Amino acid sequence: MHPGVDATDGELARAIGAGTSETAETELYRRFAPRVRLYGLRHLRDEESARDLVQQVMLLTIEKLRRGDVRDPDQIASFVLGTSRTMAMASRRTEARRERLRDVFLASDAVAAPDGGATLDLDRLEQCLAQLPDRERSVVFQSFYAECSAAAVAADLGVSEGNVRVIRHRALARLRGCVLAGRQAS
Amino acid sequence: MIAACASPIADERLIDYWTGELAAADGAALEAHLFTCAGCSARLEGVAAVAGGVAALARQGRISGIISRALLNRLQRDGVRVRQFTLDPGETVPCAAFPGDDVVVTSLQANLTGVRSVSLRVTGPGDVLFGAIDDIPVPAAATGLLWATPGAFVRSMPSQALRLTIRSSDDALLGEYVLEHTGRERGGEGREGGEG
Repeated sequence: MHPGVDATDGELARAIGAGTSETAETELYRRFAPRVRLYGLRHLRDEESARDLVQQVMLLTIEKLRRGDVRDPDQIASFVLGTSRTMAMASRRTEARRERLRDVFLASDAVAAPDGGATLDLDRLEQCLAQLPDRERSVVFQSFYAECSAAAVAADLGVSEGNVRVIRHRALARLRGCVLAGRQAS
Repeated sequence: MIAACASPIADERLIDYWTGELAAADGAALEAHLFTCAGCSARLEGVAAVAGGVAALARQGRISGIISRALLNRLQRDGVRVRQFTLDPGETVPCAAFPGDDVVVTSLQANLTGVRSVSLRVTGPGDVLFGAIDDIPVPAAATGLLWATPGAFVRSMPSQALRLTIRSSDDALLGEYVLEHTGRERGGEGREGGEG
């Protein structure tokens, strides 16, 4: 039997350990790689680092499963998360060292900014942002680009933190709806 | 197909996680859920995609409207090329933007003491309305507004005088300003793509 899309995470992990199914490895990768990437984006804040993390974590996970080194295959999600945490921490330390070196040896404008959002139609998103009320647009840019906390945005706008969260959520829902509508229309 | 989640995480909480506003223990618990739940992971993917897109637009200077000082600082820190003009009330300033400018930020100084919100109107020749923003919140100790326009948009504009007016919520005039904008057609040799 070849466990596939209907298999539990544990079934996939055991099949890889038994060496009975290559499709199990493919399915495990398909299932967990996006989650590791999100974890990487959240903690490393850079697409390239997040993709590197995916490769490192998934490679190690599959190798350990093949060798039977994962103690409880039913807890494979927990194993992948733990590995992501450890490797992201190591990556941050490496990046911090790189940044110190860059500070010493390079002018700051020689360091390129990361290019996120590659999978989204930016022209469409720009149109959708233009349709938002000015206050919502401001909250979106402050939250998702300037990385201001809800408390900081609230102080800037003279509203409550709760209000900022409501505005942020509403604006995000509108943007997603608008982008998706554009995608369907084209 | 993505399996339904038995205990879906609220969107607001996913956003709080993404913006780093959950306590460490709450964030760790949420991550443990995300790694076992395809549905919630897919919803977080949606948040991440829009957030990443917004950041990418900002880094390209494709940002418009009233911006905060924190946002301006972040743009400059990220190496976005900001062309900035500062105007006092009653002042007329010739302005120009160049091909390398990502975003034009006009800093309109005004006495905003005791003012909680204002409106900004921008009119062109013949008092034609160019744009208006109402109900702009005024932070305590603010000394003016920062108005951002993408450089590419500014470069597409013809030469013209733009009148900017700030009024309080009770319609009191707080400042009038004029930007004498030089468009591409008058940019001349070596300074193509003027404006402001």
